[in-house]
Amino acid sequence: MEIIEKIKTNKSSNNLTEIQKICLDKLQASPLPNPKSEQWRLSDKSKFSNFLNYSFKEKNPKFNAPFPHTSQRTIRLVIGDNSQINLVEKNYSIKQLSEYKLVNYIKEQISCFDQNENWSDLLNLSLNCTKNTLGLKINGSEIPPIEIFSHASSNSLNAKTLVIFLEKNCAIDLLQVNLGKENSSLSQSTFFCLEENSSVNHGVVSYGENKSNLLNSLNVIQQNNSEYNLGSLHFKFNYARFEIRIKQSEGKAKTNIKGMQITKKDEQISTFTKIDFNGPNGFLDQINKSLADDKSHAIFEGSIIVPKIAQKTDASQLSRNLLLSNFAQIDTKPQLEIIADDVKCKHGATISQLNEEELFYMRTRGITLTEASKLQLSSYIQEIISFIPVSKDRWDLLDKLLNEN
Amino acid sequence: MQSKMKESDPILEVENLSASTDNLPILKGVSITVYPGEIHAIMGRNGCGKSTLSKIIAGHPSYNITNGDIKFLGENINSLEPEERAQSGIFLGFQYPIEIPGVSNLEFLRVSTNARRKFLNKEELDTFDFEELVKEKLEIVKMDHAFLSRSVNQGFSGGEKKRNEILQMALLEPKIAILDETDSGLDIDALRIVASGIKKISNAKTGIILITHYQRLLDEIKPNYVHVMSDGQIIKTGESDLALELEEKGYEWTDNFIKET
Repeated sequence: MEIIEKIKTNKSSNNLTEIQKICLDKLQASPLPNPKSEQWRLSDKSKFSNFLNYSFKEKNPKFNAPFPHTSQRTIRLVIGDNSQINLVEKNYSIKQLSEYKLVNYIKEQISCFDQNENWSDLLNLSLNCTKNTLGLKINGSEIPPIEIFSHASSNSLNAKTLVIFLEKNCAIDLLQVNLGKENSSLSQSTFFCLEENSSVNHGVVSYGENKSNLLNSLNVIQQNNSEYNLGSLHFKFNYARFEIRIKQSEGKAKTNIKGMQITKKDEQISTFTKIDFNGPNGFLDQINKSLADDKSHAIFEGSIIVPKIAQKTDASQLSRNLLLSNFAQIDTKPQLEIIADDVKCKHGATISQLNEEELFYMRTRGITLTEASKLQLSSYIQEIISFIPVSKDRWDLLDKLLNEN
Repeated sequence: MQSKMKESDPILEVENLSASTDNLPILKGVSITVYPGEIHAIMGRNGCGKSTLSKIIAGHPSYNITNGDIKFLGENINSLEPEERAQSGIFLGFQYPIEIPGVSNLEFLRVSTNARRKFLNKEELDTFDFEELVKEKLEIVKMDHAFLSRSVNQGFSGGEKKRNEILQMALLEPKIAILDETDSGLDIDALRIVASGIKKISNAKTGIILITHYQRLLDEIKPNYVHVMSDGQIIKTGESDLALELEEKGYEWTDNFIKET
């Protein structure tokens, strides 16, 4: 109940928005996720309670982006910076969603929430006020790449919400960057609606500093003939959860996911995915990679739901994992729930260590063990990185971060 | 046979070398000495220890030296790491070159070449200078430039992999090259290209050890000495005609030498 008290004491009940009230009501019934539920059973309890320990703050300190805004063409937005977005150009427009549409859409989403599965969203929406919510409606063509930043400041719990409507026949490259400062918790919920024939290359890059935490939830609805490509990378969090829920509302849509989590020290980072095919001829190609070093713990749980209506679904889910230390732990569980009888679905998981023969081969060419391991790891990461829509100058920074101890 | 007076110091001396893996003895007292300009061939049945010998000289961490020494240019290298051996001029051409998905062949070759150049106190090459060098070396093995943009050995045919090994040898300019069944899986044309590449790279200052089952490679590159291995030991050493005799009489003929030893 502590979390509910925290929200209530932060604001008088009269100041709560309609969404906050609905979510708080739901949280009253189940203030914390059930630790025995499939989604939360492996979650480190002390790390999770540490996530909730920080005091909630609505105000955002000045934000310094980790990389400069070099490209004139890229549109950069920061959630919670209060700026009004109303870009209307010849070929495209990016506008702020009206509060009416925003509230209605979120209410519609909440009505389908499961208490455990969507606990992170319930928390996010109960904490969050309109100020830290960014709602966008995008349409047109030749849209410039968009970067959206979410950040948590030190010694606080911040909640940010992003809602994006991508209208018919629209294509975008969107990079979402979630940053956690030292001793911070960030609750980020994203709701993405792709209308017919739209497509998005969505990059989600999340990294923190010492003792930072993240609950990152992504909810995507894909309409007919839409294409959703997600490349994600999560690293440097003491505790992080990335929850992906994608629903192909009428089937006949394409989803490609390439995700990766890198854990070191005693960090725990997990990825949960649920891909729901709600119509025929859906397509999914998913690969999730984990790289665990030291005493860290990486978790992947993925489920693909193929009901009877989803005939001719073609889905593949692969979990590939690399253990870099004898003390690191990786749990992985890709699963299929298939009722339709005319489908092509496959899943698999591998856990291995750095390939000794590859290392020896490189060493016989004069490359040191450290350098050979780096080359091998960068080749492992490369498959995911190349899928994230990020320009070269951004990756110089990420490359540096990835190589830090 | 190797007791002739030599004018220069040996490049490689393997002295009474015994080695094991998982407590299983593999080498049981192997001795071989290679002088500059010499080509040695090691022949023997599958599993006799030929490849193990090459890996141990290159420093494979899975094997333990239980007795004996490996000396390179007069220095004991038993405890050197594989990369230190490679940087100082020992090259192992793999029987089955390893595929490294995601690592570009060009970058791999550049990093390797610069590691060797650094050891030799030569200036390290940037991407542009290296492109020039590699273009010249590609000619030796008649490889297309397109191979450089692919991942190391990934999707290469057997012949292409072996040519890539010789390309690496050409770039690294080793003092001694141990080529483990470089001829296996090659058609006649590819064998000639590889053999001609080896001949172009070797000179009076370098040594070569060819591990092979077949005379056909030795028809292209005539060895000074041929060693026959069996059960982790060298049971006979002769000159190049020993390989011909072996081809004619088969390995059963060498069983007599084992009985004698």
